[in-house]
Amino acid sequence: MAIDYSALYPVMVMVVFAAALPAVHAVARSSRVLAGVSLVGIFVTMALELMYIVSGEYPVAIGGASVELLRLDVFAALFALVFLAVAFYVVLASARYVEKDRHQAEYFSLIMLATAGMMVVAMAVDLIALFAGLEVASISTFALTAFRKKDKRGAEAGAKYYVIGGLSSAIALYGISLLYGITGTTNIAGINTALAGMGPELDIALLLAIGLLIAGFGFKVALVPFHMWAPDVYEGAPDPIAGLLAAGSKKMGVVLLFKVFLVGLIAIKADWQLLAGVVAVLTMTVGNVIAVQQTNIKRMLAYSSVGQAGYMIIALAVATPYAVEGSIFHIITHAFMKGGAFMIVAALAYVALGENIANYKGLAKRAPFLAISMTLLLFALAGIPPLSGFVSKFVLFSAAIDASQIADQSWMLWLAVAAILNSALSLYYYVRVIKYMYVDEGSIKDKIKVPWSMTAAVAICVIATIVLGVWPDPVIDICEQAARTLFAG
Amino acid sequence: MIAIEYFLGLSAILFAIGAMGVLVKKNAIVVLMCIELMLNAANINFVAFSAYYGDLTGQVFALVSIAIAAAEVAVGLAIIMNLYKTRDTIGLDEISLLRW
Repeated sequence: MAIDYSALYPVMVMVVFAAALPAVHAVARSSRVLAGVSLVGIFVTMALELMYIVSGEYPVAIGGASVELLRLDVFAALFALVFLAVAFYVVLASARYVEKDRHQAEYFSLIMLATAGMMVVAMAVDLIALFAGLEVASISTFALTAFRKKDKRGAEAGAKYYVIGGLSSAIALYGISLLYGITGTTNIAGINTALAGMGPELDIALLLAIGLLIAGFGFKVALVPFHMWAPDVYEGAPDPIAGLLAAGSKKMGVVLLFKVFLVGLIAIKADWQLLAGVVAVLTMTVGNVIAVQQTNIKRMLAYSSVGQAGYMIIALAVATPYAVEGSIFHIITHAFMKGGAFMIVAALAYVALGENIANYKGLAKRAPFLAISMTLLLFALAGIPPLSGFVSKFVLFSAAIDASQIADQSWMLWLAVAAILNSALSLYYYVRVIKYMYVDEGSIKDKIKVPWSMTAAVAICVIATIVLGVWPDPVIDICEQAARTLFAG
Repeated sequence: MIAIEYFLGLSAILFAIGAMGVLVKKNAIVVLMCIELMLNAANINFVAFSAYYGDLTGQVFALVSIAIAAAEVAVGLAIIMNLYKTRDTIGLDEISLLRW
């Protein structure tokens, strides 16, 4: 029987372009040409995914009806679009950022491969495919983090990221092997059916498996207490790659948690809901409190990213379609808010402005567009209306309050309370950056000129942030469909 | 046939040794080997359960994860070599430029 591979076409386009890039490099030795070719590949893939979402018709799943491996549905297509959008502006900003580096073809190739891996994770309905996609994305980002081989901080960040990434994969794999041993299947929906048939008693192996899976995937998402690597790696990685890690790789981790817990372990949700709630509150609080003390902008954004992951994990604790809808929407808005902020840092680093927040003094006069963009993105991160961060947080937090109406779930109200308090706290350190840019006078007053490609990358993020805030309905509709598809298994 | 408990015991011991090594060892290469131990502990589990259930999925998973681990080690060794070239050390406790 011939296998229909059409569900993999978007991934194949990415991989073909990734493989072609070194050949292009042999002909045209320019980072701009390489970035251009990558952008074409990403654009074609986005068009494919968008076509599936608009038409509502998806290709048949790969692996047959009984043992599905990969399935392209609205959830997968939506997340693929998010990852592709992140890759799009990262490549755009990198066009000039890496112009003086060696091995440019590999750089763009690895970005494409990492994105392809994330897309496979979003499509996976079997733990084998899930793990393979996760590793493709992780290994590519290890290499990207250590891309600047002569850079001392880059080399250190790469080594730290590699050790932590390898450890988390090993822990998650052990958890998966226990899950396979308990249920006798690696199909995520099949695991749920098997667990539902076993009744409510928890055996020790299952408890161990849940713990190992939360720890293994928690490292990827940088949940507290597994977050220590994130600020180091974001600081040492090349700036656009830090954006890719915060906006792409971390979202892939959330998808992993959604798939395994909300599909595979939903039958025993009573056993892990409270744990997920505690981790969510811890993550958002620790992330935001430490972010307040940071003086390096990339570390501050990294800790704020840890805090934002805490908001997304609320959906795991609440485990209703409405909460997942809010979480998916928050993932989309966060991809643009945080990614855009990292692209601004990249643009300013390109013109040799330091990463210290104090270096941003008087930026409003030196680079008016970047300053106003940064202000908008930071306000969106804090959740100020009418920007996108407000809408997504509103949906997410109201889902937690909704769920707390049900008996025995009143503790979920505290998730919303903690999240709102944390949002208020986060405003403090975001406004500090804005004060530096607008109120304080810097010692240098010359204008900063940034390449247009970086300006365009920032502009994409800012426009998306404003549009998603003012006119969120169409995207929220798709998020709702995606959440329902996820719960339908 | 050997009872499955023995395989699970072996894999649990391997996993614990690996995890302990990652936590206490300072040399990046040793840490890398400990991670491999942990991955192989999971592989033993997969194969043992596969034989227990008479189901091939576990063996497929073990093969896939062996291939992935090989790729991971290749990239990891390159990163560690590069660390040695730039910093003259592979001691994980000695690389501390990134800290607040």
